[in-house]
Amino acid sequence: MPLLQWKSAYSLGIPSVDHEHRELIGMINEVYDHMEDAADPVAIESCLEDIYASIASHFALEERHMREARYTEYDAHKDEHENLLDQLLEMMDEFADDPQSGRETLRKSLADWFGIHFATFDARLHESLGDHHG
Amino acid sequence: MLKGVQIAGQLVFDPLRRLLDRGFGHRLNPLNFLGALTIYFFWIVLVSGIWLFIFFKTSVAGAYESVEYLTHEQWYLGGVMRSLHRYASDAAIITLALHMIKEFLYDRHRGNRWFSWVTGVPLLWLVIPLGITGYWLVWDQLAWYVALTSAELLDWLPIFSESMARNFLSDEVLSDRFFTLMAFLHLIGLPLFLVFGIWLHVLRINGPRINPPRALMAGSLIAMTVLSVAYPALSQGEVDMTTVPSSLGLDWYYLLVYPLMKHWSPGWVWGLLTGTSLLLFVAPWMPAQRNRASAIVDLDNCNGCARCADDCPFGAITMMERSDGKAYETEAVVDPALCMSCGICTGSCPTATPFRRHSVLSPGIDSPDMTAAALREKLLEDSDKLEGTHRIIVFSCRDHAQSARLKSRLDDAQTMTVAIICAGQLPPPFIDFALSRDLADGVVLAGCPGGDCQYRLGADWTALRVARQRDPHLRKRVESNRVALGWQEPWSACGDVSGIVAALRESLPVGTGGTAGIPSSRRNPWRVPVTAFVYVAFAVMVGWLSVWPRFQLIDEGNAMISLSFSYAGQRIRECRQLTQEELNRLAPNMRKPQDCPRERLPIRVVLSSNGDTLYEDIKRPTGLWKDGSANIYKRLTVAGRSQKLFIGMNESGQSPEFDFVLEQEVDLAPGEHLVVEFDDIQKSFVFKQD
Ligand code: HEM
Ligand code: SF4
Ligand code: SF4
Ligand SMILES: [Fe+2]
Ligand SMILES: [Fe+2]
Repeated sequence: MPLLQWKSAYSLGIPSVDHEHRELIGMINEVYDHMEDAADPVAIESCLEDIYASIASHFALEERHMREARYTEYDAHKDEHENLLDQLLEMMDEFADDPQSGRETLRKSLADWFGIHFATFDARLHESLGDHHG
Repeated sequence: MLKGVQIAGQLVFDPLRRLLDRGFGHRLNPLNFLGALTIYFFWIVLVSGIWLFIFFKTSVAGAYESVEYLTHEQWYLGGVMRSLHRYASDAAIITLALHMIKEFLYDRHRGNRWFSWVTGVPLLWLVIPLGITGYWLVWDQLAWYVALTSAELLDWLPIFSESMARNFLSDEVLSDRFFTLMAFLHLIGLPLFLVFGIWLHVLRINGPRINPPRALMAGSLIAMTVLSVAYPALSQGEVDMTTVPSSLGLDWYYLLVYPLMKHWSPGWVWGLLTGTSLLLFVAPWMPAQRNRASAIVDLDNCNGCARCADDCPFGAITMMERSDGKAYETEAVVDPALCMSCGICTGSCPTATPFRRHSVLSPGIDSPDMTAAALREKLLEDSDKLEGTHRIIVFSCRDHAQSARLKSRLDDAQTMTVAIICAGQLPPPFIDFALSRDLADGVVLAGCPGGDCQYRLGADWTALRVARQRDPHLRKRVESNRVALGWQEPWSACGDVSGIVAALRESLPVGTGGTAGIPSSRRNPWRVPVTAFVYVAFAVMVGWLSVWPRFQLIDEGNAMISLSFSYAGQRIRECRQLTQEELNRLAPNMRKPQDCPRERLPIRVVLSSNGDTLYEDIKRPTGLWKDGSANIYKRLTVAGRSQKLFIGMNESGQSPEFDFVLEQEVDLAPGEHLVVEFDDIQKSFVFKQD
């Protein structure tokens, strides 16, 4: 049973953003799978690096849609995106330095790292955009 | 050849830029805002022009008076407005010329940038006539000279069969017709085209700098206003066509070629003008820029975030409907006809992150000439050779001459320079990567000197990205005192790039308390003296060339004779009486008793003074069938004294005898203007003198 699960209620109504949310959920679940497998650190590392690239561009796209919709909470949401990128890099560094404790941190935090933002900031965005985008 | 000219020109231009940088700093360096300053001066011209227009009387009789009224009665406002109108127009020519020269010298006119250059050239053909028609409207002696000379130039073109210049020889024939035409051109026609032209000129550019920074606007407005009050623009005497001013204060900015008409035929002047324009038009292809590969989009890594389209300085990227069926709305599409291959788009793409040890680094958009993956490779390989705890990587712009020199000057065991296309090409994660992966201890981004980015916006975007004010932000964990921009203000403590590298190294390793990266800028002792000097020099140059040096129209003590008439010469043969038989052969409605040839012979004209021939010419009839009159128009300078003038014309051009002659003792005072005409009714020449 995957850790995070996509629900249709999460839909922002912007197909591209929804698609990426789904993809990101998949990628995060994949990291957890690797951790369960006790796979070698390289696999986890490369998963994390892919997540970093994907989420950076996901934020960029989401921000574009927020700007175009003149979303009023843009600044706070954007700051949060920047924080999340910083946090992910921290986790990646920790994992690279010490895979043992890094793995623990990941296990504890990775799902929340994305899940909380998703459930709060992105959900608020969904409420505000939902009407326009059906 | 081109390179040589450019390098030689830069040797002159660079010190000027450095001087201005000293005073203004590169954020306010006027040389970085020449196009915008030109537009700004046009705004001043527009506003002051509206004031002038309110009081201006559009007629030969009223124009001079109304301008005099503004200048003298209403000097405190109208006079200042008039002077501002003139001086801002002159200032616009200076900034325009520098703008053009700079784009050329720094090779910003070739390749896909040709469009801005080529649309710039016609602007010259709008701005200069705008000034010329403006001088015409004042209707003082300079206006008369401008009108007469312009008419002589236009008469050379095979457009009008009538001589236009003839209208400006005596007051009797001058009508308001020309005046209305000039007013239309000056007030409506040319300005409209100019606005359209400027729009077209910057059309392809992303975010053109239309307005200069406020400080420059204020400074130049003050400079022009002080000049206007201290040294108001004046008219140069009422027009009296029976006399000629021996010298005139000429506005060299607009009327540069007019004095040539004293010695050259109009044909040569036109040749010079069209030749220069053609040369300018083809300049972007002399030689053409070597084709460089345009940026390439990798759809697998592009989600349509549009950052690259926002950042591309040349508007080469458009966000188009998705073409690969993925769940994204748009994708980036590069127009190879616009792309300058600067790589700035890669710097903005969120997928251009080097933190990929195991998957391929392929950003959404990349430069085939120097891919992000290759850059990462190079970083990893070369940084291996760096030693110690004070290692610095310098990213320098490939296309700047400075780059090659930097490499040989800086590279040592602790320093390595990496050439990239433009500072803006470097995605901020690469800085993070170099520092967090311990490839180096400090990073310097050496852009083009003075912040004058070869690719317009690369330096600006880089500074903003590093300051976390523009996407993609440099990550917070990067200690800002490990990163330095190479385009520091000249009064900063470290000066040029090597100074910055040294200062940065000095401050390493960071984090051991008290170190603060490179020292912040000091106060600039040069600010006031240099800016004051530049504004004063600029105002003096504007005011100076707008009337000085005076142009000697005719030498002191001389007078002017204008020869101006049309005459239909003899037909090539006599009319012949048709015989009755011939008449009978014609259709009844075609029966004319005479058969006359249409074609006429040329006429010969000679003018001499005291027996010395001053002018002799044979003029052909005008018209397609050579059946029109021949036009004689000639201005001559003679000594101003009493002399025996002789004018003779031969209406069949062949025989040495004259058919019409006038010989008369004429007392010509210095500065007098005598017009020689042919009275068609009396069939005789007349000397029209005051
Ligand atoms: C009325 C006169 C003119 C005005 C107001 C004007 C204004 C401008 C402005 C505002 C820009 C954008 C600058 C930027 O943001 O980077 C520009 C660019 C440019 N101008 Fe002009 N310009 C004029 C005449 C000319 C002429 C006569 C030429 C050359 C024949 C010329 C050549 C160029 C070129 C090549 C660029 C593109 C620079 C680049 O791509 O970086 N301009 N001009
Ligand atoms: S910046 Fe990158 S991801 Fe965004 S639209 Fe451009 S190529 Fe695509
Ligand atoms: S390489 Fe430069 S000009 Fe070409 S698309 Fe990218 S940013 Fe625009
Ligand atoms: Fe978000
Ligand atoms: Fe999101």
